[in-house]
Amino acid sequence: MEVGGRLRRAVRFFQENPLSWVGLILLIGLGGVALLAPYLSPYDPKEVVGRPFQKPSPEHPLGTNDIGQDILSELLYGARTSLLIGFTAAAIAILLGTLVGVVAGYAGGWVDAALMRLVDVVLVIPFLPLMILLAAYLGPGLINIIGVIAALIWARPARVIRSQVLSLKHSAYIEAAEALGAGFGRVLFRHVLPGVLPLALAQFILAASSSILIESSLAFLGLGDPLRKSWGTILYYAQARGAFLTGAWLWWVLPPGLLITLSVLGFALTGYALERLIQPQLARHGGPQPPRTRSQR
Amino acid sequence: MFWTAKLGQYLLVLLIILAINFFLPRAMPGSPLRFLAGEDVGFLPPETIQELLAKNGLDKPLPQQFWLYLKNLLKGDLGYSYQMKRPVLEVLWERLPWTLLLTGTSLILATIIGVVVGTLAAWRRGRRFDAISLTTFILLDSTPSFWLGMILIAVFAVNAKLLPIFGAQTPWVTLTGWAYIADILKHLILPVTTLTLTTISGTFMIMRYSMLQTLGADYITTARSKGLPERVVLYRHAMRNALLPVATVFMLNLGFVVSGATVVETVFSYPGLGRLLFEAVLNRDYPLLQGAFLLITLSVLAANVVADLLYPLLDPRVRSSR
Repeated sequence: MEVGGRLRRAVRFFQENPLSWVGLILLIGLGGVALLAPYLSPYDPKEVVGRPFQKPSPEHPLGTNDIGQDILSELLYGARTSLLIGFTAAAIAILLGTLVGVVAGYAGGWVDAALMRLVDVVLVIPFLPLMILLAAYLGPGLINIIGVIAALIWARPARVIRSQVLSLKHSAYIEAAEALGAGFGRVLFRHVLPGVLPLALAQFILAASSSILIESSLAFLGLGDPLRKSWGTILYYAQARGAFLTGAWLWWVLPPGLLITLSVLGFALTGYALERLIQPQLARHGGPQPPRTRSQR
Repeated sequence: MFWTAKLGQYLLVLLIILAINFFLPRAMPGSPLRFLAGEDVGFLPPETIQELLAKNGLDKPLPQQFWLYLKNLLKGDLGYSYQMKRPVLEVLWERLPWTLLLTGTSLILATIIGVVVGTLAAWRRGRRFDAISLTTFILLDSTPSFWLGMILIAVFAVNAKLLPIFGAQTPWVTLTGWAYIADILKHLILPVTTLTLTTISGTFMIMRYSMLQTLGADYITTARSKGLPERVVLYRHAMRNALLPVATVFMLNLGFVVSGATVVETVFSYPGLGRLLFEAVLNRDYPLLQGAFLLITLSVLAANVVADLLYPLLDPRVRSSR
């Protein structure tokens, strides 16, 4: 299909699916906040700028935390940490997942069997307890958190990509390339890989949505990077100082959780939309699939 | 063939879990003794250190150490919690029932609600009920469970004073009989609500979708044209067949609920294994951390095996094709 046709179809798709717009707008808005945090924040989030435990006031629209930092500034800068971790962990996971899925699907045989066993193993272990265990041993830190999340969420995308490769494998253009004598590596990288890239992009967006949610849980349990507060870390301190037992939950607990929810939602809606947008090309049987919820991502 | 493959796979998972537990303390920089006996191991008398080294075989080569580790496990020796000053297994045993109560109740509730609401939404496709439930569950699916728990506590426990704020029972009082059960149920309501609400979405989405497909099938049209009441068609003909994919989601939800329980128990200070995991991280109590991880993972594995055994009973097609 030529590029103009694709673009027209994408535009029509977004016109017909208003929820996809919601997803995109959320992402652009939150991404903008993260980029512009230094210009939007009234204070330096690490600076003690007032008395602790203040109620919202014109100087501090969302009050101050337990050591007198401005909560609004913390939230705006927190967008950077949360989105950065979500993006990076998802990118690594999808790189790994695509590689495994493409090799397993195209190679077949024992390579496929072995890789898929590994996928099954990763999927059956409850992810959060294992992440807590790993994070506790490795210690807090941005790199460790990203690594731990990526190491455990690549498996499901790998399976999705593999099934796509299986259906591509017997398509005319791949068989033609093989018949013309193209080697394993050439077919893999020149033909199979480009064929799954749109799907990998959709998987990436969905993985980012899971990563942000998982990071918030880890940070909430005190395993986040202490030097870079994410939304989860803010909630960890709010919980540790009993903010939800006082009126402070309205400005200290509610906003970070809403931001987590909105960004997870934004990525999820955009991911579903992308998946459905490329589904006609996949020529899948059985019609559109239901959106995969977080226990299935 | 099918069973040997499945069994082999579960054994492999078991082996990997054991290997993770065994290698983690040994792969970290510094003496593994630090993780087995605590940060202040340097202050222990030399005899105790010798005893610890010998018990874990730390003076022997790795394969022998692993063998010793497995032997200790089989004897039920999961090590000693140096923060609680008690054997790890004893602590775990106390916490397990609470986690089972919390996760079991939530999983059952989430499945029932997901199936019922999913069926109704599919039946009223495109109408208001469908739109509202779909939006609600998409939103809930993006909500962090610990945050939902905090909000529920603030609203229902602190402000409305309807329910207890934390724990699994009222401390410092001894209740018996019905009062005891009522007290436990009262403490269970908020954590179960939190965990259920964040788990329903998976079941709901699959059920709604599966029901939509079933409702379009020929035999449903036949049943309708026979003049059967809509309720009979819906529940007796369509719902039974649409239920099958729910079984798969149930398996996925199993591990998910356990992960969710970890953070939810922490928010509510609920004395289960998940909360224990958090306390162990907080206190740097590595034997306890590993023990809790092992028991949680083994429970999920066991539940998976049971679900796998039951699945053919549910779907005759699977039975015959194997």
